[in-house]
Amino acid sequence: MKPIPISAEQSPLLFLELLYKLRVRDVMVRDLVTIRRDASMRDLQRLLQTRRVSGVPVVEDKRLYGIISIEDLIQALEANRMDEPVSQFMATQVITVDEDMPLSIGLSTCNKYEYRRFPVLNARKETVGIVTARSINTRLLMELFKELGRIENEGVQTPVQSDSCSFNSFRISPSDFENAGKAATEIKTMLQQRGVEPKMIRRVAIAAYELEMNLVVHSDGGTLTFRADEGEIQLISNDQGPGIEDVNLAMQEGWTTANEWVRSLGFGAGMGLPNAKRVSDEFHITSEIGAGTTVTIRNILAVRPDHKPSS
Amino acid sequence: MKLPALFDATQAEVLWIAPDPNKIDVQHVISSDLMSDVLMMDLEHPLLLTSLVSDQSLRTAHVVEAAAVLIANDKTPPPQMVQLAAELQIPLARTALSKFDAAVVLGKALAR
Repeated sequence: MKPIPISAEQSPLLFLELLYKLRVRDVMVRDLVTIRRDASMRDLQRLLQTRRVSGVPVVEDKRLYGIISIEDLIQALEANRMDEPVSQFMATQVITVDEDMPLSIGLSTCNKYEYRRFPVLNARKETVGIVTARSINTRLLMELFKELGRIENEGVQTPVQSDSCSFNSFRISPSDFENAGKAATEIKTMLQQRGVEPKMIRRVAIAAYELEMNLVVHSDGGTLTFRADEGEIQLISNDQGPGIEDVNLAMQEGWTTANEWVRSLGFGAGMGLPNAKRVSDEFHITSEIGAGTTVTIRNILAVRPDHKPSS
Repeated sequence: MKLPALFDATQAEVLWIAPDPNKIDVQHVISSDLMSDVLMMDLEHPLLLTSLVSDQSLRTAHVVEAAAVLIANDKTPPPQMVQLAAELQIPLARTALSKFDAAVVLGKALAR
């Protein structure tokens, strides 16, 4: 059985800590879609359609006047009043949250009401953002992944697979040829489940496999960490030594320090790092003798046509 | 060319195959014992011809989305390798031909 990543007594604290550490401004959407009071309901209809949101704050010169949603639009449609201004339909009693509020307090405010979006005001009462369940969830997940990354350094693996994010971390033992390649296989499966385009899956799988084989062949043991969200895929290979003497040399095709035994297994041809770089949009390597090597790879995902912006 | 036809041409013994092998079309062959080199090739669903009998042949095949793995030089993969082929859904066969002879046969078959 896999070890539990966080002690059961500690885990609620981890979540609570995040709720207190993060502020409303950390989880709000800053790219605000707004409308003016004098805009017509027909304008609102077009705005909701083009920006694919279900409601917007009514704002002029950063000042918040109200909030209007698709429900108000339906009312206007039914009453055949689409040419009337937004100000006739908007809700003026708007529940707002302050950008400085700890997330815990912001959440309890949001939970008291049945609304789906809450405009965020700064100290000068200017509208600076909006929070929705989605924006909060996404950010909380990201923060949890960071925490998991920290825990992973202590040698514990905790895979996460959700719509917005995938995360997994693999402990790779030196010379463990029996299990070599398993991490790359699992990463490939997670990407397939995410519905990533096949060519990109292949690129990431190749990079993951090369990094994994490098850890098996050359390192004193390390971790391969995988993270994917809607925008990018990241692989981080991190080992505890021995370190590469000359990184530039290691990046040259065909240059290798692998022994015959490793070559008899089909690897050690000196193509690993150059090939991993070939299939990556961004490639960084740092290494220090005695300390270890870290390789970070990023691949940027093209926005899919069916991609829905957050509301 | 259909995968079963290529296996026939090399007189291969099939160790694991997908339920509907005639749906697998092969246009390219990679012949190599060096998995690092296989990972460098950009070919659509190649058949991997190799005399490397290890899980790494299958894992590499899986990563590059190979259509199948054909083991040459009359080598016999151990049972756990056949099991891994089924797990990864990669057709696996072996042939008594040398890697060179198998490559010649496959090349002629694909050129037809």
